[in-house]
Amino acid sequence: MTTTIERRQEYRNLFKNNVEKRLMVDKTVRIIVFACVIIAIIPLGSILVEVFKNGIAAISYEFLTETPGAIGSGEGGIGPAIQGTLIIIGLSSLIGVPIGVMSGIYLSEYGDNKLARSIRFFNDVFMEFPSIVLGIFAFLVIVLILGHFSVWAGAFALSLIMFPIVARTTEESLKMVPMTYREAGTALGLKKWVITFRIVISAAKNGMITGILLSVSRIGGETAPLIMTILGSSQFFSSMDVPMDALPLRIWRLSLLPYDSAQLQGWGSALVLIMIILAINLGVRYFFANRSKKRGLLAQLIKKGMHTKN
Amino acid sequence: METQISSDPPSTIDSEKYKMIAENVTISYDGIEAVKDITMKFKEKSVTALIGPSGCGKTTFLRCLNRMHDMTKNAKVDGKVMIDDIDLYDKSVDPIYHRRKVGMVFQKPNPFPTMSIYDNVTAGLKLNGVRDKKILNEIVEDSLKMAYLWDEVKNDLKKSAIELSGGQQQRLCIARALAIQPEVLLMDEPASALDPIATQKIEETITELKKEYTIIIVTHNMQQAVRVSDYTGFMYLGDLIEFRETKKLFTDPKNDLTAKYVQGQFG
Amino acid sequence: MARLIDPSLQKLSFIMAEMGDMVTESISLAIDSYLDGTNTMDKVLALSDSIRSKYYEVEDLTFDMLLKYQPVADDFRFIRSSTEISYAFSRFGRYAYDITQVRDLFGDVSECTNASLIESTKKVKHMIKEAVMSFAELDVRKAIKIREDEKVIDRIYKERLPKLIESNNTKCALAEALLLRYLERIGDHAVFMSDAINYIVTGKHRPSEARIASHTKQD
Repeated sequence: MTTTIERRQEYRNLFKNNVEKRLMVDKTVRIIVFACVIIAIIPLGSILVEVFKNGIAAISYEFLTETPGAIGSGEGGIGPAIQGTLIIIGLSSLIGVPIGVMSGIYLSEYGDNKLARSIRFFNDVFMEFPSIVLGIFAFLVIVLILGHFSVWAGAFALSLIMFPIVARTTEESLKMVPMTYREAGTALGLKKWVITFRIVISAAKNGMITGILLSVSRIGGETAPLIMTILGSSQFFSSMDVPMDALPLRIWRLSLLPYDSAQLQGWGSALVLIMIILAINLGVRYFFANRSKKRGLLAQLIKKGMHTKN
Repeated sequence: METQISSDPPSTIDSEKYKMIAENVTISYDGIEAVKDITMKFKEKSVTALIGPSGCGKTTFLRCLNRMHDMTKNAKVDGKVMIDDIDLYDKSVDPIYHRRKVGMVFQKPNPFPTMSIYDNVTAGLKLNGVRDKKILNEIVEDSLKMAYLWDEVKNDLKKSAIELSGGQQQRLCIARALAIQPEVLLMDEPASALDPIATQKIEETITELKKEYTIIIVTHNMQQAVRVSDYTGFMYLGDLIEFRETKKLFTDPKNDLTAKYVQGQFG
Repeated sequence: MARLIDPSLQKLSFIMAEMGDMVTESISLAIDSYLDGTNTMDKVLALSDSIRSKYYEVEDLTFDMLLKYQPVADDFRFIRSSTEISYAFSRFGRYAYDITQVRDLFGDVSECTNASLIESTKKVKHMIKEAVMSFAELDVRKAIKIREDEKVIDRIYKERLPKLIESNNTKCALAEALLLRYLERIGDHAVFMSDAINYIVTGKHRPSEARIASHTKQD
């Protein structure tokens, strides 16, 4: 030992000298970070509060079920819009989710080659596309060709927005499943697709669901693509080949009208939209959280929202 | 490095059957050889330990015995691995079929996290199409008994596998591997992630299992090799340096390198 | 870097070396006391006791090493043989004391000295020296010499005993009989010791056991 006891004591004193300052810096940083969080939450919180405050007055059975009345009359409701939103979300998911999940599986499990790398790159680029561009694309490809606005076009446009998100999150969730589970499956003599679908996906379930719900929430509020594809209407859904209403469209139209009653209905619609998205989120999590009865349901719902590594 | 392989000539090992023979196995990654031209014979119903410093190739070699390297990109395996006179690496052989003849237990216990104890044990069976409930129940009980886990979990087979302790999880993995009725069991440092009591249980399990199975175990714990194995192979930098009866290798190693390694003079 | 077990191994070697020296000294003293009549009983007793206590030290050290280090290969064989060899040493010390007791009990028996006695005592002194050196240097070639010497001592023992029955001089006969007996036992243990040394170096176990066992059986 070449370091003497005295020298060691000197080293110790070095640390003592800095303590005050470092504690201060630590505290300051903590305060700043916390402040940023507050600043971020305040607008979000106030939006929710505003929407609730302004929209709650509009809610009634009539409001939720009837077709819109004459413009500016304050009568009628947003029944078709609610129905339309649910339909368009459902249809888009039906198209976008399976394609997205399959792409995610391909990229994660079979994608260690050049082709997969290009696909991944284009996927990421695609995710960043402004939704209005995708709306125009759907307009050109379907609306113009067929000659009319339709639900098909809307579902097509929204699924284009959906599937890159689903693909990416699925891939990430699958990648987080440790390799050792796949190896265990291989050692048991299982075929690759069995391992992927029965073991890996099962372990990646939570992350995948989060990704899907994220994309659903995203498309639930998309307006621009809908303008150019389903156009909007005052009637309930009749067929796939005609325009349809949806909440974002209705909100937009109502908010442009100068009448107070229209404004009120607009707030009400916004509230309804937020509630629907929230309900979908909670409902799906509830369904998948119900498995283990151990901890409190709320804790589970929140926990499942995080990317938990099993 | 030119090394002589020190091993007893075949005639002095008694004439019991060899369950598995690895002949001239060479494994390379991206052109670099990790395992160099190794030949090893494994007697039926015996335990063979593979020891050696980190990076000597023992795990790489172990994994080629059930064709795990098929999953690895850029891995090339030359040579033969024969079970009962059938070469696993022969083109006509279906690797998946033969992987069921050779079970594997990994270093870190890896029971499937979203499945129950019961489902874990039957995973290799159900996912391969075995449906008969009665047979599955029988096999579950049999496998868990052989892994010395039955008494601890028999009352709650539907419990999630990840709620078990580390040692129990590893025994569950052993049961899962045994459920597909293999003939050879490969174990890659099965107790290294476990506490001493759990390790002891695993070693007891291995000692019981060798009455029916041929077991090959990679271990970095030399005392474990002495306790548990009948034969030991010492590997260094991809070569097989010495392969003999365990007691002889540890009391009177013929090769200087072996003597240095087991006495802790390097690695 | 030194291993954990190395200091213990060195200590073991050191104690064994001390024992070896003491054994050589005590046997020389004992034999000389018989041949030239000096009474060295007290000195040899002291040495024998020392050797005995070192034997216990070696035992403790050995089991301590087994407990802590679980030695293998060369270390293992060295430790195992050390227990056998230190036991042999303790026996040598004991026999040396027994020999001085003969001189003590019988008085001066130097006139009983004869040619075969001189020969066998010379051989024994030589054997002991060789055995201790053989262990110190881990030299198995000396083992051959030791076995030859042992055979000579055996032969003398077998030849002389019947003749002693015929002897007129009871004191000399008895003294010589006792001495030859002790010398023969020393010889056997020296061979066991050389076996133990052989085990350290070659890993072969107890080659002479059968032979020794067979010739101590009654024909």
